[in-house]
Amino acid sequence: MRVLSTTKFTMLRLVRNYIGLLLLLIVPIVMLTIFSLILSGMTNEEGNPYFNETALTMVLTFQLFGGSSVMHYLNYDLFTLNRERMFVAPFNRTMYALSIMIFGSIFSVLLGIVLMIYSQYVLGMVWNNWAWTIYLITLMSVLSSIVCVIFTCVVKKFKLAGRLSEIYGVGFVMLAGLFFPMPQNAVFDFLGSYGNPLTLSIGAVRAGGNGNWAEAWLQANIVLAAIVTLFLVMIVVGRKRLK
Amino acid sequence: MTIASMQGVLKRYGSYVALDYIDLDIYEGEIVGLLGPNGAGKTTLIQTLTGMLPADKGKISLFGQSQNPFSNANKEKLGLVTQEVAIFEELTAKECLHFFAGVYGLRGEEKKRRVAEALEFVGLTDQADKIPHKFSGGMKRRLNIACALTHRPKFLIMDEPTVGIDPQSRNHILESVKKLRDQGTTLLYTTHYMEEVQEVASRVIIIDQGQVIKEGTVQQLIQTIQHEEKVKFDVSDPDIIPLDKLEKITGVRQVIASGSQITVISAAGTGNLDRILSVVKEYSSVLGIQADKPNLEDVFLTLTGKQLRDKGE
Repeated sequence: MRVLSTTKFTMLRLVRNYIGLLLLLIVPIVMLTIFSLILSGMTNEEGNPYFNETALTMVLTFQLFGGSSVMHYLNYDLFTLNRERMFVAPFNRTMYALSIMIFGSIFSVLLGIVLMIYSQYVLGMVWNNWAWTIYLITLMSVLSSIVCVIFTCVVKKFKLAGRLSEIYGVGFVMLAGLFFPMPQNAVFDFLGSYGNPLTLSIGAVRAGGNGNWAEAWLQANIVLAAIVTLFLVMIVVGRKRLK
Repeated sequence: MTIASMQGVLKRYGSYVALDYIDLDIYEGEIVGLLGPNGAGKTTLIQTLTGMLPADKGKISLFGQSQNPFSNANKEKLGLVTQEVAIFEELTAKECLHFFAGVYGLRGEEKKRRVAEALEFVGLTDQADKIPHKFSGGMKRRLNIACALTHRPKFLIMDEPTVGIDPQSRNHILESVKKLRDQGTTLLYTTHYMEEVQEVASRVIIIDQGQVIKEGTVQQLIQTIQHEEKVKFDVSDPDIIPLDKLEKITGVRQVIASGSQITVISAAGTGNLDRILSVVKEYSSVLGIQADKPNLEDVFLTLTGKQLRDKGE
């Protein structure tokens, strides 16, 4: 109950985190707008607009960085400046950390939905299956938050944890071959397909859009399995760090 | 009633002994000033007392409970003003207090009332709806204090609450401490500013290198070193005053001439001021007299051989 009373303030902090909003909302909106202008009228071999593919990739890519606010709040509230006050407060700090993670993820999903709304109603793109796409955005957001919590709990130097979270985000974008083509070998093929949450979620949305639900669920469930596994890891390292 | 107690508490960081078998009792209603230089072990003592750091040896009890002193029931009676300002920069002053009030289980109208009281207590009522991002250092410190007050703790620990702030905010904080004392709150106030301790503390504990060096009221501590008296005379003709004549007066230990000032140091209780004054007046007009009383700084210097504050602090 006491942790519940803090959730409103966690959301307020997220909403008023202007740097976070700039990086996770304004920057993608600007990029989406620029790409819509550049790719206007261009279609792929199947006759679908190129922009659809770009918008999907961008909306999911930015979810890779959605956990950054979570790790900053965890660090500030429980491991550095506010640590002493939180320690002497009569509430469950593990549950509080979990609430930050959950609300950080929800906020990241909401930003993803705002990007979907913007790209459909302002830029004219049509999202085939909103519910399925939002589900994949949610998976990506939760995964990012969990990974960031793990980094914050495992690495004592917060700056290093921050760098690792950036490597997680940029690394998977790179491995997905979005920056430049990756070398052709088994390892990179795996990390660019079934070993990469970004390509898995993009693939799942695409497969769902094509009506190939077996493939769509397979790819989404791989991400879900990663979430479940890392969630257990997070619980172990989180409880250890919060002792 | 004993609010907090530490018996034979040892805390080590590797080979470094931060708390060296500390014995300490804090009684209901008193303000205990914990005085010590930087690195004396003040913050370690607080962190051990609040359970943040496990003690290597010894017993700690809070509110009479030694088995589980850090239970939630005890935490509800405890308030902590941290040395670092720990407030939420994205929330308004009022929202910051609502956050902590909620954590301490306050709800509804009572929560609103307590938050308003805490804001008024630290003089931030007119800043309630502002984001602390643009507050001055002193205002942030006051908000930091208010965060620890909404639940009306029985025992409040203030860890160097006036570090790095302007004199006006410092005075405001000291006044707040006195108000809390009048309301019956037990306080542990750590600082390395002896003037603050002299002003607010009912009992002083001096620690250095993890050990309690001395404890008592300010007067008791000062009396332990009151073996000298120092009188300064501002005179019109300092050059013609025969210093050797002053030195021959019973009890006088040292005479120092500096500019227009003659300083005479005598053994305490000699009662020789009249004789000194008559000698000085014989040769020169006396423009002013200043008698320096020993203070906690002198006590600390005598006990430890070092200054409380580093130069420039």
